[in-house]
Amino acid sequence: MQKASVAVSLVNDLRQSSAPVVLAHDRTLPVVDELTGLFNGKGLKQGSTTEVSGTGAVSLAVALTVGITRSKGWVVAVGLPELGSSAASDLGVQFRRWAFVDEPKDQAGEVIHALTGAVDLILIGPEIRLRASHGRKIAARMRERGTSVVTVGDAGRCNLQPSVRLRVNRTEWTGLGHGYGRLTSRKVEIELVNRGVDSNSHRQLLWLPDGEGRLSAVDQDNEWTSQSEFCSRDEQKILTDLDKQIPWAS
Amino acid sequence: MTQTDARTLILVVPHWRTIAAGTGYNIPAVVVNKNRVVDATPAAMSHGIVPGIRRREAQSLCPDLEIVADDEERNITRFNSVVAALESVTPRIEITTGGRCSFLTRGPSRYFGGDQALGQTVADRASEALSAMIDVKEIPTAVQPRIGIADSRFAASLAAVSQDTSCVQIVPPTTSRDFLAPFSVRALTDGDSPLAEADDLVDILQRLGLETLGDVASLPGEELYARFGTQGLFAHRLSQGMDGRTPVPQPVSDVAFGEREIDPPADHVETVVFFAKALADGVHRQLSIEGLVCVGVLIEVESDHGEVSSRFWRHEHQFTSTDITDRVRWQLEGWYNSETAPTGPLTMVRLLADEVVPDDGYQLGFWDKETPNDERAVRSLARIQGMLGSDSVTTVQHEGGRRLVNIEQRIPLAATTFDPDRTIASPELSTAPWPGRLFAPLPVVVLTQAQKLEVTDSQGRRIRVSGRGQIEGTPVHIQSKNLGLHSIAAWGGPWPLEERWWDSTRNTRQARFQFLLANGTAHLCVIENGQWWLEASYE
Repeated sequence: MQKASVAVSLVNDLRQSSAPVVLAHDRTLPVVDELTGLFNGKGLKQGSTTEVSGTGAVSLAVALTVGITRSKGWVVAVGLPELGSSAASDLGVQFRRWAFVDEPKDQAGEVIHALTGAVDLILIGPEIRLRASHGRKIAARMRERGTSVVTVGDAGRCNLQPSVRLRVNRTEWTGLGHGYGRLTSRKVEIELVNRGVDSNSHRQLLWLPDGEGRLSAVDQDNEWTSQSEFCSRDEQKILTDLDKQIPWAS
Repeated sequence: MTQTDARTLILVVPHWRTIAAGTGYNIPAVVVNKNRVVDATPAAMSHGIVPGIRRREAQSLCPDLEIVADDEERNITRFNSVVAALESVTPRIEITTGGRCSFLTRGPSRYFGGDQALGQTVADRASEALSAMIDVKEIPTAVQPRIGIADSRFAASLAAVSQDTSCVQIVPPTTSRDFLAPFSVRALTDGDSPLAEADDLVDILQRLGLETLGDVASLPGEELYARFGTQGLFAHRLSQGMDGRTPVPQPVSDVAFGEREIDPPADHVETVVFFAKALADGVHRQLSIEGLVCVGVLIEVESDHGEVSSRFWRHEHQFTSTDITDRVRWQLEGWYNSETAPTGPLTMVRLLADEVVPDDGYQLGFWDKETPNDERAVRSLARIQGMLGSDSVTTVQHEGGRRLVNIEQRIPLAATTFDPDRTIASPELSTAPWPGRLFAPLPVVVLTQAQKLEVTDSQGRRIRVSGRGQIEGTPVHIQSKNLGLHSIAAWGGPWPLEERWWDSTRNTRQARFQFLLANGTAHLCVIENGQWWLEASYE
């Protein structure tokens, strides 16, 4: 009996001491459970760039930060003056370790460089552009120090190579009719594309937001309920014609 | 400010805390704060007791030691009688803490015929007041007031305490740097400097082989700033014989001044302090909005017989509103206990932020950093403030209201006490009690400036909302410069929003709508006086 327990503890010790060393590029920043499906059950890779695009990209980018803010990590949003903090806190963001640099002006490169290595995640807004030299420097520092970046929109304009691209492929709002009801929830389909040899793609359905403004998982059986309401080509032509007729409101 | 303008006299009474505590200087006694010895009488020091050791250690060195608890209020109110003796020299004396005060020497020095004469006069008057206080004819050398005069406060404070043979030491103009050069970098933490708590910095400097202030002064200032931030810059300026921070020239604006009539006139110190608290809060808040902090404050209190108590106070880092309120209390206690105590009730309290400096983010060093990450992050944010201006880095503050722009409030980081564990009131809009609130989910993009918009029916006519809040027509298209033209897939509204209906000049009437466009985006728009605006998007 006693021998057995000694043996068990020995085996455990051995297992611990022989566990592989965690390399920097294997370390991850936590994301909320609903999003781990996109990252093979883990989180955002430290030192990596994630590009988020499509309708709803801002919500998705904010949702990615929730896990970090809950685990006392630091997030700084650069160039996102219009980010709705009430909506973000409904999504679960805790603003205690969160700061905004709304207008870095022509010093975006210097600002982001100063933040790299000092905070856990930098959220970069759609208007920010970085020179190639800055992008290279920042990427090298990110790899070394483990700071991650999420860009809203194309990461190429910041001269950063995204290791993960998340695209909101399809969205569907519910609750709003023709002159009645109100927006209650939005179902989104997110597609993930990994860069590199093990390139594979995931798709995931999410409520972003659900009826209470939060992020929640969608029952996979749930079909898209209504017909897609995107414009047909004919419709688009009519609109373009109309565009010419209506005078500008000013 | 030129160098002669900043020339300062500092008076230090050694072992002041023990004197204020009323212990005899010739018996072994210590003053203890949080179980650490903060001051000891000369007799106690001869037993090997030095400030900084633990109370129990002190007791083991000297078994019949007398122990007194520290009391900042006592330290300062008792010091008032010494300061009062100096008021015939200059009216503008600033008290930093008990046993330590200072004034600018430009005027007084000329009047008394030079720094030496001035220093001697101050020393004589202070000794007189002190001997009356501890009731001896001849003050022992160990507790004789020390005076230093130099081009900066820091240099003057070192000049005051570093001299053993005479109690007045004068550093001639423009030689402060040479005077400071041989001092150890340790002096940065014990002089009259904004680095009083920067032991970490001093440790690093010493490990880098920078032993003296001269070593620090000879380095390029920008390099120190780049490596150590504001603290490094302070260290460089101080060791060069300059003041740590450059005061903002007066007048800043009206906000640095606050006045409050006490009605009905008050007999109690606490009543006046209560009024002063509100004043101090106001002044402090206004300054922080402008990115400034106050390091010197003038407090004036008047009685209804026309008696005035007026005093300058100085803080090594910055005054918080509680600090100012404490000073008001101390000043009043001192006034009531002095010979010139007011004969009538008090009618007026006045605060003037006399010396303000740009908020350099140094106070960030004071809040409890829970993790090393916090320290790193805050340091980098402070650097960005330095690059882009003090209001460039913001944080979230939620406020009540019905309009989105009112709810989404960002405040400069510099205007908050940046504590990562501060509570942020969550807006909880969906449960907020007022009518006209927005429903969850809330828009994740809130425009800082609403954009003009055109909403039309199938014939291209603008959609309107009647005075009774009824929509006229069916919205079909939406068009704006930024969005382009889109057809509306679904819509909801109008939700009327009327604010300040009781005020004919400021009242507003709006109607809110939600539009879901054919491209899958959803927006929050309002119509006001027949004009459509895009306010926010459910991005």
